[in-house]
Amino acid sequence: MDDQNLNSYEEIFTKKIIKTGRWTLLGAIPLCLLPALYLWFKYGAIPPVKTILTAWFMIASIYGVEYFATPISYFPILGMSGTYMSFLSGNIANVRVPCAVVAQDVIGVKGGTNEGELVATLGIAGSIITNLIVVTIAALAGNVLIPYFPPVVMKAFDYVLPAIFGALFSLFAVKYPKYGIFGMAISAFLVIVIGVLPTWLVVPLCSFTTIGYAIYSYRHRKLQDEH
Amino acid sequence: MKDYLEIANDPILWVMAIPAVVMVGIQAYLFSRRAFEASKVTTLSKEQCRKAFKVGAVSAIGPSLSVFVVMLGMMAVIGGPVTWLRLSFIGAAPTELTASTIGAKAMGVEFGSPEYDVTAFASSVWTMTLNGCGWLIFCGLFTHKLDRLQDRVAGGDAVLMEQICGAAILGTASYLVMSNSQAGFDRFVAALVAAIVMVLLGKVSEKAPKLKEYNLGISMIAGMIVAVLI
Repeated sequence: MDDQNLNSYEEIFTKKIIKTGRWTLLGAIPLCLLPALYLWFKYGAIPPVKTILTAWFMIASIYGVEYFATPISYFPILGMSGTYMSFLSGNIANVRVPCAVVAQDVIGVKGGTNEGELVATLGIAGSIITNLIVVTIAALAGNVLIPYFPPVVMKAFDYVLPAIFGALFSLFAVKYPKYGIFGMAISAFLVIVIGVLPTWLVVPLCSFTTIGYAIYSYRHRKLQDEH
Repeated sequence: MKDYLEIANDPILWVMAIPAVVMVGIQAYLFSRRAFEASKVTTLSKEQCRKAFKVGAVSAIGPSLSVFVVMLGMMAVIGGPVTWLRLSFIGAAPTELTASTIGAKAMGVEFGSPEYDVTAFASSVWTMTLNGCGWLIFCGLFTHKLDRLQDRVAGGDAVLMEQICGAAILGTASYLVMSNSQAGFDRFVAALVAAIVMVLLGKVSEKAPKLKEYNLGISMIAGMIVAVLI
């Protein structure tokens, strides 16, 4: 692609997405406070400020690092617009990442390209709509629908996550077997051998050491080709 | 005394949850529209853009349904409206449950116990809300900075960039498979079967490209079935 097109992609997409992404995320903050404020004004139901601060401190001590560690870890997969969308809509590892990646695979575009970013954006948008529909149906009619799910189906739901992650892994392990083996070895080491590290540390460690290994082996191959 | 549940299911509370949920939908709409517009300066066709959206929508059915089950459990304790908002929004079921529990603890009661009253419920809501805001603030302010970081690492080398994406997916997926497998042999089997079926389907869909968009769903179901059977 020539510079002309790159520049216009910047203009048409990147700059506008930053603007939209910023106001939708920051604008969502007052909106998500509405239920808490309503409980306060209508029913006087509000814990003492000190309790809220204590709870905030406690929850931030668990997730505080993830506020920046998760966006950074998933950024190479989601791209910029995917990050704006995923961190408003949530369910990142189990819904947004697989949907973005599968959309790219089906359309046949590469991650890290402009085409890849657009396809990931649309794949994530599609997944958000599905998610909103399912969650809304569950909220309105869940209790009525649940008897229609036989116990064996309920049990099978336990395996959705490992199955999705297994499929996602092999989709790419076929393309980059060496990185796949490296990723598995490093996560086995961190999860099974060491085992005490918190999630916010293990996820970026697995992702970034595998990236590091990929960069190293890519540069190494390039050097060898030059000789 | 479970009368707080009446408040937790107050119809006006539903109305209060609507704006945040609608914002998620609006953002998805705006971003898709921009992506369609921007596709003109890339090699993507409108048809491919529509297809990308559809693949995302179809692939999300399985994982969204799994949220469905957790959701019903959450609704029993924190009511419909707040569950609806929190699961349409940043965070996922485990995060929200942890936050609700901590909100209750800060009030000195157990989450879901008979002592869990309307103030404890409000405390859970505040904790979930403030926790979610952590991501909104960081990503709202700094996402565009991450872009430059990545450009600097790859130095404009498109092949390297692609490899970085692939390695990031493999590193993350490896961890997710590993931590899930650790929770039980049956989960490991689900991951393994899904992985094998995905490879096989990848080979098949070289000949039948139409099949490709269902590969993830089929692999997932295969993994689930075998794991239930063993």
